[in-house]
Amino acid sequence: MEIEETARGATTPALVRAVGLSKSYVQRAPFSQKRFVIDALVDVELEVAPASLTALVGESGSGKSTLARCLAMLEKPDGGETWFEGEEISRATDRDLALLRPKIQMVHQDSAGALNPWFTAAQIIAEPLDIQRRESGPMLRSRACELMEEVGLSANWAGRRPLEFSGGQRQRLAIARAIALKPAFLILDESLSGLDLSTQAQVLNLLLDLQKAHSLTYLLISHDLSLIGQVADSVAVMHRGRIVEHGTRQDIFTNPRHAHTRELLNSVRLVESSFRTAQAGGQQ
Amino acid sequence: MRNAQRILAALAVLGALHLVILLAGFVAPYDPAAQNRDFPFAPPTRIHFVDAYGRAHLRPFIYSLSVRSDTVNEYEEARDKSYPVRFFIQGPAYKLAGLLPLHVHLFGVEGPAQIFLAGTDGYGRDQFSRILYGGQISLAAGLLATGISLLLGLVVGCVSGFYGRWIDESAMRLVELFLVLPWLYFLLAVRSFLPLHISPTQTFLLLVAVIGTIGWARPARLVRGIVLSAKGRKYVIASRGFGASDYYILRRHVLPHTYGVLLTQAALLVPQYVVAEVTLSFLGLGLSEPAPSWGNLLANLQQYNVLISYWWMFAPALALVIVSLGYLQLANAVHELQSGSI
Amino acid sequence: MNYLERRVIHGMLLLVGVSVLCFAFGALAPGNFFDEMKLNPQISPATVAALRSQYGIDQPLPLRYGRWVRSVIRGEWGYSFAYNCPVRSLLMVRARNTLLLTTLATLLTWLIAIPLGVWTANRRGRWDDRMGMAGSALLLAVPELVVAMLLLYWVVRTHGLPVGGMVSVDFDVLGKQAKLIDLALHLVIPTTTLVLASLPLLVRHIRASVVEVLQAPFVQAARAHGIGGARLLFRYALPAAANPLSSLFGLSVGALLSSSLLVEVITAWPGLGPLLLEAAMARDIYVVVGAVMASAFFMIAGSILADILLVVADPRIRLGSL
Repeated sequence: MEIEETARGATTPALVRAVGLSKSYVQRAPFSQKRFVIDALVDVELEVAPASLTALVGESGSGKSTLARCLAMLEKPDGGETWFEGEEISRATDRDLALLRPKIQMVHQDSAGALNPWFTAAQIIAEPLDIQRRESGPMLRSRACELMEEVGLSANWAGRRPLEFSGGQRQRLAIARAIALKPAFLILDESLSGLDLSTQAQVLNLLLDLQKAHSLTYLLISHDLSLIGQVADSVAVMHRGRIVEHGTRQDIFTNPRHAHTRELLNSVRLVESSFRTAQAGGQQ
Repeated sequence: MRNAQRILAALAVLGALHLVILLAGFVAPYDPAAQNRDFPFAPPTRIHFVDAYGRAHLRPFIYSLSVRSDTVNEYEEARDKSYPVRFFIQGPAYKLAGLLPLHVHLFGVEGPAQIFLAGTDGYGRDQFSRILYGGQISLAAGLLATGISLLLGLVVGCVSGFYGRWIDESAMRLVELFLVLPWLYFLLAVRSFLPLHISPTQTFLLLVAVIGTIGWARPARLVRGIVLSAKGRKYVIASRGFGASDYYILRRHVLPHTYGVLLTQAALLVPQYVVAEVTLSFLGLGLSEPAPSWGNLLANLQQYNVLISYWWMFAPALALVIVSLGYLQLANAVHELQSGSI
Repeated sequence: MNYLERRVIHGMLLLVGVSVLCFAFGALAPGNFFDEMKLNPQISPATVAALRSQYGIDQPLPLRYGRWVRSVIRGEWGYSFAYNCPVRSLLMVRARNTLLLTTLATLLTWLIAIPLGVWTANRRGRWDDRMGMAGSALLLAVPELVVAMLLLYWVVRTHGLPVGGMVSVDFDVLGKQAKLIDLALHLVIPTTTLVLASLPLLVRHIRASVVEVLQAPFVQAARAHGIGGARLLFRYALPAAANPLSSLFGLSVGALLSSSLLVEVITAWPGLGPLLLEAAMARDIYVVVGAVMASAFFMIAGSILADILLVVADPRIRLGSL
């Protein structure tokens, strides 16, 4: 097991470690004997260093979301182990899970779907606090307002419903909700996809600020390589359920070893270069 | 909005009816068990505003009834003395809604005249009073049984939809069975296995319990559908990520969606169950004499001579139709409101 | 084993289940039925003794059930205390009468409801549709109990039709044609009541299904081709609505049976209804079980019939693409 060398320090032990994770889905057509087996994760090995931003890239269907859900303890892997803060958690009992959950949180991609449209903003943010019984009554609401301010939303909007916010604001809501329990590890599943570039930049800055303020560790899942190129400390590449390459941002971008990584990078460069050509050549 | 108006109108009519029936003791001029052996099958008392001399009065009045000599069950008005209809008059004692002992009645006349707004039955009992008191039984049975059905349906629907797999499979088979079951056969069979001679209170509770188990299937299926669709929402998954228990998720994320459906089902079930109680009592398997229920009031009509000659004995049917109409209109309006807003 | 065979076996299992349930209920009931029976002066001691030996009346539940099953296989279906005969002879006649009434009522209802539903679907929103809907809402609110009584009242007043019963007193001496007419006359009131009770809901459902189908793309296309009027409705829209309508039929059988029970009792039509009622009052337990089983049988047969109709009417199911 290699211990990640991050830009920050030499041999800090990993916050999260996945060892040999595997998960398959079996689909059965009704009234038939045929089964379709989908290997979502195959022998996945991943390490995330504390206070870092690790990116997980891959095309759609590579298993990124499945891995995210397993790490967030929303699903149980079929095989392998997950280590968090030095303890094995994939076979945790419900009691242990209750203690663990606040520490690992997730921000989902589809903000409109991940927020109950009938709840107000304050109710959404306060929900984890309510479930974990951290606060109650009026304290809930004031804490929710605090969190809203922290993510850059005005507390006056606490009574509004999710659909009254823009996409970027909804993501801020989701982030506020995710940090309510003061987690150590935050999984961002395509949280910046679907936002326009300027909003993306704003939300990204917010995330980086929060990371500094609360010593958060991020796992950023994305298919957007140019975004990752800007912020990731280390990058893991997934392809068909396996981690095919894992290294620092420098290594991956300048010296990709796996064929698939090269493909991904090439397609980005292709888009970038054609854009530049279009800019240079086809401009009026 | 037309829909909102319809709901309000239906609620107003139903509310008024339920209130009147709840306050049966006050609105009814007589005790439902009080017999007047001298006046069996008397027709509804005629209310007059103009007297024999052609003078009009503001306050309505009636004439006392006397039996036409040499005939049976034929009456004529004794026009010698008029009895004005008084309001808030003192009358036989009663307990308002079963709690408050009072003497005052909404309307009535001084003795010995009697005001039979809906005529009398074979024992000379005032039908109007009996309809009001009977309404208490029939409506209460309908409402309580509806509560039972909705509770059953909610629980089964939630558990079935939430936990899925074999629980769901078996529950849905049961639902199918109950949806197709000929309910009256089922009801009669169950009733026949239970002792016939038990106290009225026990009969009532038994009736309610049995009727309530007829119609839980449709609400259960609807609730299950809602639970299934809510279960897969991303925000429910997110909730799990915060460590929410199944109960929390059901309570905060799923249940609020069921209220509309439950309301519509309630508005549909209440009239059905009232009719069920009336049917059972009519057939003699429900509330029996002397406790009045719209069912055993209508049972009088099974006698040929009553059916032919004494049309006022149909009066409980009118009350039944008004109740059904009110609730059905409410159900329609709520349903349209719901499907509009979804 | 194809789908239909599975359904039939499923139905038979259901019947067994219903019979077990009936017996279980009977056992759960408070009060010793056997003692009550002994006290009943209408039942002779000889009958009691015979029943005890043959049906194990005072035996524990599983034994009683076993004896009853054997009686079923023998063809007797248990024994009626009130009528002093095997249940089967009672059931057969009554079931036939109920079948006659309900089948006729069902046919008439659907015959009237389909054109009515389709026609109102077409004229949706216009004044005659609205009036029709209001009228049907009113009719829906009147329970069949009241409808039956009102019809009886009207008939009695006008002396137009025979009141109650299935045949007149002098039925046997009538000629063949007269017999038919007599039967038909007696059928009028119960059938009309059943039809009036079932019509509003059915018309509403048919209307809703047809309205939905009329929005379908293929209907719009047909309309664009110039097909319209009755042809559009009956050859394009209606067949497409056959699927939901068949399942509706399956569901309505149970409700129809319930309605017919009440109507039979009120109009003295000698069907399963009055039989069950009498037996329920007299706690003639084997007759109760028999009548319930008969109704369950009709219900299952009805839903299987609905499934067959579904397969016949909807080619998508036949070809397996649904």
